[in-house]
Amino acid sequence: MKKALILVVILINLTAFAQDKENPATFKKRVLENTEVDFLLSYYNQDGTHSPVSGGIGSEKLTDIASNIVVAVPINEDDVLTIDVGISTYTSASSSNINPFNSNKTSTSTSSGASGKSTSTTVSTAPYGTPWQASSGASKSDQLTSVSANYSHSSDNRNNLWNADVSFSNEFDYTSVGFGGGFTKLFNEKNTEISLKANAYLDQWRPIYPTELHEYGTYGANFQNQGYLTGVTIMDRYGNKSTNYLPSAFAPYSNSNRNSYSASISFSQILTKKIQLSVFMDLLKQEGLLATPYQRVYFADKANYYIGQSQYIPVYGSYENKGVYQLADDKERLPSTRFKIPIGARINFYINEYVVARAYYRYYQDNWGIQAHTASIELPIKINSKFTAYPMYRYYTQTASDYFAPYEQHLSTEKFYTSDYDLSKFKSNQYGLGFTYTDIFTRARIFILGLKSIDLRLNHYQRSDGLSANIASFGFKFEVQ
Amino acid sequence: MNKWPFFLILILAMQSCVAVKEYDKLYINDPDMKLAAKQAEKYETTFQVYREAAAGANGGKTGGGCGCN
Repeated sequence: MKKALILVVILINLTAFAQDKENPATFKKRVLENTEVDFLLSYYNQDGTHSPVSGGIGSEKLTDIASNIVVAVPINEDDVLTIDVGISTYTSASSSNINPFNSNKTSTSTSSGASGKSTSTTVSTAPYGTPWQASSGASKSDQLTSVSANYSHSSDNRNNLWNADVSFSNEFDYTSVGFGGGFTKLFNEKNTEISLKANAYLDQWRPIYPTELHEYGTYGANFQNQGYLTGVTIMDRYGNKSTNYLPSAFAPYSNSNRNSYSASISFSQILTKKIQLSVFMDLLKQEGLLATPYQRVYFADKANYYIGQSQYIPVYGSYENKGVYQLADDKERLPSTRFKIPIGARINFYINEYVVARAYYRYYQDNWGIQAHTASIELPIKINSKFTAYPMYRYYTQTASDYFAPYEQHLSTEKFYTSDYDLSKFKSNQYGLGFTYTDIFTRARIFILGLKSIDLRLNHYQRSDGLSANIASFGFKFEVQ
Repeated sequence: MNKWPFFLILILAMQSCVAVKEYDKLYINDPDMKLAAKQAEKYETTFQVYREAAAGANGGKTGGGCGCN
């Protein structure tokens, strides 16, 4: 697969250069007249009750703020360099519970001596936690920084377009390096377009494990007397002190690489003066560490053990649980390879001078047993020459992965297991409203930047397993003058 | 994989279309008729890739860059 992808990229590039020497004397309009700058911003929040870090139950509260600056610079009449720099910051109740234990709880107790008059106050530092609230752990927040560069070259007649890209991104426990290339050919009086693209991402995990598994992995069978768990009371399901907890299924990953290779083909066609259509297909292979190291799994055939306050054990699976956390039987385990095949089509229809219909459908299948359908429609309505409003709706449905089971339903005899509801069977609806302001004359200016357009998108997302999310996105496009 | 014949027939059928001349592309060149997603849409695509198993076939990124699926 790797060699095939590299070969495809080389062939694409050779083809592009070979077909690029056409009519050098003819007048050429610049591919991009002036440097353009996009400022993008988004706010996302979600909530749900199936935290994968807590084995399929618990708070999924998450807030993410992301921003990007995208600069497209015309190098000459034919070439454009685009740089995209982004930063994304999130806080998450789910990932905070990689270490769910708060150990600074202060409690007051009263004891009576023989005289009946003695009262004392003690400070308890016993750790406690709950899957229903964020802990104070360091993993409650993180930042993702990313940078990518894309260089594109168009032929003199603008019928051939070649591009190459590189990307880099980093977060606390994950680094990604990507590169790729593509070639686009237009023909049939620019009514038909075929595009080929190949990409590779060479990613690296720095695995973080749930605290109790990390301690077991570090100290072995005697882990309850060493490290973090020294002096900590572990309880059985009746709330009695127990030393029987032993997550013997756990072993740290020996390979922390995750590589992704993709090949894409797309075909676009103008069907009439008012209709155009595009068909896309990707082939994606992933290999390496495809599981998420800090996502817990609880086995139905293993006894349950807890740290925290025993009175909450009977209500462990509900919001009433304010102070006890179940210790993992293992982290999730997933195969080391995955093949994905998505096929999609988009059709746009210019209904009249006021309304355009944009429709999209995608069929998806992978070798983990998931099939999915996505359908969406967007209806841009032109309010006047500058303002457009567009209601949008998206429907999505997927089958469950072969390796998914809810909380406490996996068996320790299984080879692969996860309780991540992103891999479960569900349907989702997303609906929203967008607004676009466009000024082709860029009359509004900030220093040397002339405002070309403003985009605002507001969407609500509802998944059938109870997860809901809201996202607001803003885009400001400027032209350097 | 039984979707293949549908897409193949679709592609072949489109070859018979009469080419629309440049001067007739007023509607096709409308900004809302672009077949690519808008820049501001990238964040929606990102969270969908996190929260759903399916990805790709939308002209966007198909992998890498985060610890998501």
